[in-house]
Amino acid sequence: MDLIAMATGFLLILIGLFGALTNRNILRMIVAFAVANTGVNLVLVSVGYMTGRTAPILDSAVPVAEATARVIDPVPQALVLTAIVIGVGVTALMLAYAYRLFKTRGTLDISRYTDLKW
Amino acid sequence: MVSPIFIIAGSLGGAFLLGLLRDPWRGASYVISLLVLTFTTWLAGSWLWALSSGAVTPVEILTAGTQPPFAVNLRLGIAEAAMVLLINLTGLLSALYLKDTLFKQGRRAMAVLLIFSMALSGIVMTRDLFNLFVFFELTVISTGGLILLSRDPRALAAGFKYLVASQVVSILMLVGIIFAYHATGSLNLDDMAAASAALLRGGALAFFLVFIAVVAELKVFPANGWALDIYESAHPAFSALVSAAAGSASLVAIDKLLQIGGPAWMDVASIIGIVSFVGANLFALAQRVDRRLLGYSSVAQIGLILFVVGQQDILGERYLFVAGGVLLAHAVGKAGLFWLSGLVAGRDLTAWSALRGNPLLLFAFASFLALLIGLPPFPGFYAKWELVHAIAAHDHLLELALLLFGALVEAGYLYRWFGYAIKREIDHEPIAPSLYKRAVVCVAVLAGWLLAYVWGELSPHDNLLHAVPVLFALAFLALEWLPARVKNALAIAGLLGWFAFSYPAYDPLQLIFALIVLAGGALILLASFHSDGRRLGFYPSAMLMYAGLAMLIVAEDSFNFFAAWESLTIGSYFLILRGRQSEPHALSYLVFSLGGAFLILAGFALAAQGNVQFLLVSLAEVAEPLAPWVFALLAVGFMTKTAAIGLHIWLPGAHAEAETDVSPMVSGILLKAGLFGLFMLLMTMGRQELYGVDLAHVMMWIGALSALLGNLMAAFQEDAKRLLAYSSIGQMGYALFGLAMMNHLGWLMALMFVINHYIYKSMLFLSVGGVAKRTGTRAMYQMGGLITLMPLSFIAVLIGIIAMSGVPPLSGFGGRWIFYNAIMTSEYRLPMILIFVSGPIAFLYLFRLIHSIFLGQLKDEHRRVKEAPFWLVLPQMIYVVCLLVFALAPGLALRRVDAYISNFLPQGALSWEGLTITSEFGYWSPVSIMLIVGVIFVVIFAWLLFVNRRAQKVKQFNIVFAAERPYRPETTHYAWNFYAPYKKALGFLAWPVFERFWAAVTDLLHTLAELLRRIYTGNGQVYAIHLLAFVVVVYLLKEGL
Amino acid sequence: MIKRFAVILLLLGIGAIFTGLMVNYVPDKALNVTARYYAEQTAPDLGAANIVTAIIVTYRGLDTLGEVTVLFLTAAIVGLVLARGSSDEAPARRDLPPPGELLLTGTRLLLPLILLFGAYVFTHGHLTPGGGFQGGAIIASGMLLMLLSHPLRRFGHRLIAIVESIAGLAFVGIGVLGIALAGGFLDNRILPLGTFGELFSAGAIPIIYTFVGLKVGAEFSSMLVNLSETEDL
Repeated sequence: MDLIAMATGFLLILIGLFGALTNRNILRMIVAFAVANTGVNLVLVSVGYMTGRTAPILDSAVPVAEATARVIDPVPQALVLTAIVIGVGVTALMLAYAYRLFKTRGTLDISRYTDLKW
Repeated sequence: MVSPIFIIAGSLGGAFLLGLLRDPWRGASYVISLLVLTFTTWLAGSWLWALSSGAVTPVEILTAGTQPPFAVNLRLGIAEAAMVLLINLTGLLSALYLKDTLFKQGRRAMAVLLIFSMALSGIVMTRDLFNLFVFFELTVISTGGLILLSRDPRALAAGFKYLVASQVVSILMLVGIIFAYHATGSLNLDDMAAASAALLRGGALAFFLVFIAVVAELKVFPANGWALDIYESAHPAFSALVSAAAGSASLVAIDKLLQIGGPAWMDVASIIGIVSFVGANLFALAQRVDRRLLGYSSVAQIGLILFVVGQQDILGERYLFVAGGVLLAHAVGKAGLFWLSGLVAGRDLTAWSALRGNPLLLFAFASFLALLIGLPPFPGFYAKWELVHAIAAHDHLLELALLLFGALVEAGYLYRWFGYAIKREIDHEPIAPSLYKRAVVCVAVLAGWLLAYVWGELSPHDNLLHAVPVLFALAFLALEWLPARVKNALAIAGLLGWFAFSYPAYDPLQLIFALIVLAGGALILLASFHSDGRRLGFYPSAMLMYAGLAMLIVAEDSFNFFAAWESLTIGSYFLILRGRQSEPHALSYLVFSLGGAFLILAGFALAAQGNVQFLLVSLAEVAEPLAPWVFALLAVGFMTKTAAIGLHIWLPGAHAEAETDVSPMVSGILLKAGLFGLFMLLMTMGRQELYGVDLAHVMMWIGALSALLGNLMAAFQEDAKRLLAYSSIGQMGYALFGLAMMNHLGWLMALMFVINHYIYKSMLFLSVGGVAKRTGTRAMYQMGGLITLMPLSFIAVLIGIIAMSGVPPLSGFGGRWIFYNAIMTSEYRLPMILIFVSGPIAFLYLFRLIHSIFLGQLKDEHRRVKEAPFWLVLPQMIYVVCLLVFALAPGLALRRVDAYISNFLPQGALSWEGLTITSEFGYWSPVSIMLIVGVIFVVIFAWLLFVNRRAQKVKQFNIVFAAERPYRPETTHYAWNFYAPYKKALGFLAWPVFERFWAAVTDLLHTLAELLRRIYTGNGQVYAIHLLAFVVVVYLLKEGL
Repeated sequence: MIKRFAVILLLLGIGAIFTGLMVNYVPDKALNVTARYYAEQTAPDLGAANIVTAIIVTYRGLDTLGEVTVLFLTAAIVGLVLARGSSDEAPARRDLPPPGELLLTGTRLLLPLILLFGAYVFTHGHLTPGGGFQGGAIIASGMLLMLLSHPLRRFGHRLIAIVESIAGLAFVGIGVLGIALAGGFLDNRILPLGTFGELFSAGAIPIIYTFVGLKVGAEFSSMLVNLSETEDL
């Protein structure tokens, strides 16, 4: 049962990728990637998780001396923040692109943008 | 020293500062951007200088005042410094190049550019896996922004496709990173490398995901459709950055990962790399759009470097030299070409003909192509030399073959493009006038040559840019403004001067070849006085060819030999390309020559067994299982140059279509390079047997067939220069035959052919060229009766064909005499018969030269034709004298050589007493033969005049004027299809079997490329699917292995 | 159809890789070397109570700088993408239904609170869950609320840009001060560590996080504003 978060994360990634690769609508693709990114973030935090431990914040509940035995791995927590922010950045960029694409061609179907090929 | 962290901090500070400025202050924003890039470039450069001079040691940059792995750290060693310099310099130059665009787009675009180069520098320097990911994402996002600098509306879609693919990549990478962290408890790359065993056991999948994600960032074939779309549609300055800077950064990243992955993953990288190299080059064959072609070529080059990165375990301490050489050559060449493409208005390859108006840019184009292909003296040449030696020494023969094949295809399409630029109609807009764009291109050219010098210094060999002949050839680039005649005088002085200077050092064999190349070259150059104007491009090319030849003769080790070989190949290619109709022929010449050169390279590499400095005399010591293969590779390589049958199809076009004074150079002189190589080979390696077959015997057959078929094909030509060209195939066949006999007289005869063929082929090409110049045609049936108008040319041709046909009294007979003596001593009867038969066939085509051009009736349109120009006739007359002297006293040249050959083959030397030469079968007295033949000739000539005094003359086009007008009037001319009966009987022998074979091979490659490249459908989703498929396939293969 | 099938097949392959990862995954029983170091050394070395914050701002500060740069980049590029080609065409005004009393009043009421809360979150990043990114996002949500209630209002790009840039420069500047005054780039010990657990402690971390919060807030706002101004279709 420890792995349920991780399994969910992986499943989300696969669902997201499936959506992104089979939906031809650009907005749906972006949403699908957002789902996949969420899955990645879930996998990230699940790797640092240790059953029975608490968040890596030192206060009266978790004194400095006991920290090693009481807190979970803080590194994935830090990484996931970065990953989230980067994901947001890329999503915003893709949305802006989608807007411009729609303005130039009047369609959001990715299979219509094949002027460049071979 | 200023800390390298300021490369990152400075760029970021600059980018944030740009945000403070008001939008309309474009000038200030631009100046800030340039200042920042200049600062980072200077910083990287100063570190590179300090590191390479040993003033400082590689530096670890800690952040947060904490030791790694607990805080992110960076490292700057010499390789990193070079890469960071490359990235920032490319960024600076691209920023200069982009001035207009950046002004239009404003400070935001400038900030994105700064961050892009910062992120790439970060990728190079960081030692932390997750930090690497962050920098990768920064490059992805800034790429998404910089694509928009393009004015091409399609760029938008390309950018989106790129974002889709990079989403997939980043998902894989993040999952991999977190599991790799879990397996090792660290994100530090050095820690991971230390814990690599644990990581690869428990976390092999994690490593795989990170690895494959970074490989995908390299845009490897075939999971790279989005990258090609970007290359095609983005602004060329940005494509330059992507190809040169981003590609290099990703390669550094993969190198870091392979420190963790170890040898097993290096193999995977190698395989991906070599597949990418061959596949992308193949696909590029079918490209017509310049930037997409460059995109494919970038993919291929990066694949090649990935291959090198994967071979680092066998390259050992030379790894940085090899990888750096290939990488920097690629970066400079590719960036330069992209920048150049911004100056050309049209996007079709043929539009590059617009460059023709600007010699400087054309020189840049040629330099960039040479950089990419790895020709001497550029870094790629030194690097590939060592790479090929290393992989040959480790018996990676399949990789070796693929590498050379890919390189050949690449050279093929790149030089096809160069041919378009030189030869195609200029019907496009002129090149952009922008001065600073041109300045950027010029900086790239300078950088390329500077790197060439640096790599020459770093290599264990002599620096090719220290070689006097090469420098002499390059000096003509600087002298291009002089009139052609002045340059010609300089060139002649140079050739003769170098001959005089080197004379004492030559052994007799070298002396013969040097005499032909240098003194003979100077003699042919007399004909070049005929040209006026400046004749741009002629002298650098010609002198490069002569430099290569001069260096070839004296080369002592395989490296210098090969460098000389490639120089003469390239020089002669440029020279041949100058002919009016020569574009396809020059290309076929180059492809065959480079193909041959690569075989030679492979042969040397196999022989050397990893020893990059290999004396040619050591070829004799190559041991048994390898020796015959080395011999075969080298022999086929050299026979490509001598146009042995089967490998001959490039010769007729190349020699016939070249300019009047170039034809004798490439025929009379250049072909001898192949013979020299064969001499060298046979002297060192002697007889070799492969599967029980004597290879010398095989060569003898090839020689005999070349002689027979070459002569036969010559007899059926209508074009006088083509006739001469085909006859060279036959003549070289004789020489090859003589060499392959492996006895004293055979070699002597081959040398005799070397001298004779030079003299009479140069002479005939000059006189036929002169006739063609005056009459405006090369078709023989359109000439006739020129004997009275061009008597000197007639005399030259007459003497030439007498000499060539081997009838007494001229030197050709001497050759024949030695030859017949030689084959009497040899035991192979059947090829001997072929050689005998080809003798009379030679008469057939030689007769046509004199008969159809100079005899018969004069055409109406030629009534006012004058004798050929003085400067064309002068060398011919000198040749006539030479032939006569050489006929009377062959001992002048041959005696010493005869003695020299005795060192190798003591049996059967001739005796030279007075003016008579004696062999074991008889004697030859040139003077008395001359006298006897002279008397017979005069008698018969007088009798003929007497008998024919009342001959009636027949009109040539009788049928035409008698009745109907035929569809093709020339078919009614008696001199057209002169040997129709023979053609009926023997024509099957002259069927273009080999032409068809090679045409089928190239067609097959083109068709494959045309069909397979359709996997790049242009759909962004399909590209992402390719990427996933690539991941899965690599995973399955790796699991399977 | 073939495409869908191919995608499923490929995802099965990727799924196999993921399954492999999971099957081989053994949860740690104790903290690994890196995590243990952070757990033990963060408080004495950096004086931050929130270990994650200490990692983000100091130990892996370079990542965070990159992260901030990602947002800066995205904001800049979104501006570029949306500005591309639309500079000459005047935004077509259209009549929108009024935003409604509830939204207007709610905005007026909530906006100051949201901004205050955002500021609280980023200034206390070293003590409590939260920090610059979270705080910045909260501030930007206030901006979103404003945009919803006043869809036609044009906001000052200039102010946003200045806040964004100054915050960015300050971040880099503090990082550089670390080289001069402490152990290296982005070292937070340029200021006294203070008393553990108090607001003014942990050296430069609260200051950096304040700037990050401002910057993130400004960048998100700039993206939102840019996107909202495209609604001229």
